[in-house]
Amino acid sequence: MNAAPAEPILRVVGVTKRFRGLVAVNDVTFDVPAGSICGLIGPNGAGKSSLFNLITGYYAPSAGEIRFDGRRIDGLDTYRIAQMGIARAFQIAKPFPELSVLDNVRIGALFGHAGARNVAAVTAAALELTGLASLADRPALGLTVGDLRRLELARAIAARPRLLAADEPCAGLNPTETEGVVDILRQIRAAGVTVLLVEHDMPAVMRVSDTIFVVDAGRKIAEGPPEQVARDPRVIAAYLGTPAEDAPAA
Amino acid sequence: MLVDGIRAHRWWLVGAGIGLIALSLAPLFLMPFHVRVVQQILFSAGLAVAWTILGGFAGYWSFGNTAFIGLGAFAAGLLETNIAIDSPTLAFVLATLFGCAVCAAVAALLAYPILRLRGIYFAIAMLGVSQVLGELTNNIDAFKGSLGIILPKLAPAAMEPQVFYYYLFLVAAAGTLLVGFLVKVGRIGYGLLAIREDEDTARMLGVPTERYKIGMFVVSATLTGLLGIIYAHSLGYITSGSVYRTDFSLNMIVYSLLGGIGTLAGPILGSFLMVVLTQVVLGRLLDIHMFITGALLVAMVMLAPRGLLGFAENLVRRRGAGLRTVEP
Repeated sequence: MNAAPAEPILRVVGVTKRFRGLVAVNDVTFDVPAGSICGLIGPNGAGKSSLFNLITGYYAPSAGEIRFDGRRIDGLDTYRIAQMGIARAFQIAKPFPELSVLDNVRIGALFGHAGARNVAAVTAAALELTGLASLADRPALGLTVGDLRRLELARAIAARPRLLAADEPCAGLNPTETEGVVDILRQIRAAGVTVLLVEHDMPAVMRVSDTIFVVDAGRKIAEGPPEQVARDPRVIAAYLGTPAEDAPAA
Repeated sequence: MLVDGIRAHRWWLVGAGIGLIALSLAPLFLMPFHVRVVQQILFSAGLAVAWTILGGFAGYWSFGNTAFIGLGAFAAGLLETNIAIDSPTLAFVLATLFGCAVCAAVAALLAYPILRLRGIYFAIAMLGVSQVLGELTNNIDAFKGSLGIILPKLAPAAMEPQVFYYYLFLVAAAGTLLVGFLVKVGRIGYGLLAIREDEDTARMLGVPTERYKIGMFVVSATLTGLLGIIYAHSLGYITSGSVYRTDFSLNMIVYSLLGGIGTLAGPILGSFLMVVLTQVVLGRLLDIHMFITGALLVAMVMLAPRGLLGFAENLVRRRGAGLRTVEP
């Protein structure tokens, strides 16, 4: 479980995002070591998705900076960040609906991380890893939720990222499917890709992550190995509420 | 990637080459009326393919591509009638290059504001652009849109004018198709497909969406302008009303839709069928031909929304004969 300390591939430093009056992300700082799997957890509305949107360039931060591989990426256009080597798998799968599974993955392989690429080999490997090879000629439109989630992952890794940002890859999946996704994430890491995971499925995230960051109401409230974070009273309070809040009438 | 794409579609290229040879020889055997009909098919198919490069591939439907027919025709015509060059051929070549350059430049300028609009808003914006350019040409005296421009006669004495223009249209249409083919089978074709399907996801995967859209808009506009310049010369005399024509804008879309949107064979098939239908089959029934054409289109959209190629593909698939392929 414990990865050797390595140079962080992603550094989020004092990042704040305001939407008019609302502070969605408030002065958050964390480092993702290269070659690790990190989990980002927190209650609904804590700011996890906003953080993902900041890292992948959907929003520019109101303050702070984001560094990928030593270079500042905050405020860059989404496609530039993708070309630098960050890929994202969405929670709500966004396939290209009219295209086949193969063409969906092929587009990831044709674009994504800039530099030399072997499209056919990368596409085939991504389909193989995610177990979608037998569905390659099916249109994405008719896939099941589980297959769509694996297609998200296949397309993202076909983009040959150095960092994969996976947004709740296990949400809504049954235990067998979840196990399959966890296995895929481990193999992606074994291939040298760093993984940053937003996940609600606690057992899954505890099993797979080296380090977990916990955010609540836009702030980071805890960070550490899974066992330590699970016992942290602030984390428990954030998820279950404090006793005083639980029983206001008593 | 491009080489792989060309190799994968080599039979398609062979087919196009055979078609080109057949069309090159056709005027030797056709009657003048039929030469004109094929000439109009070439013009319409060229326009529909040029439209498809942005509208069919990337899903940005322009409802005002006639803007570039008019712009190209008037830019070229004004230069040609004011330039002091003795050789009409050289003047025509220079004017054509100038007209295409004007179309490319205007498209590049328009692209920045209006390609940020998506779907129906882009379509309406282009409709507006074509109306505005038509009105400006009509009302500003220097552009001679209401008075009209008389263009020099280009056809050599030994050649019938309709045959001469037939070959010009053939060259322009074949060139347009070649450009469309190279776009479609290359990496950029997949990028455009991704834009059509989901532009935000395309960006997230590293597709330079803005650059691709602007580039294809400029390419589409330039090719449309080239066809417009040839068309203007084939008329010999143009006013703004004869080149800024909303029915041109609509026909490009209808022909592409009829044949199969997003494909290259579709716009060609659609142009062929509609021109033959309106000019030959219904040519003597002028009173009702628009009515029949309209009814046919409604039927097509309802029964075969993916066009004739999509309809044929469904038939083949229903018989279980092979996998779905993306035809160029």
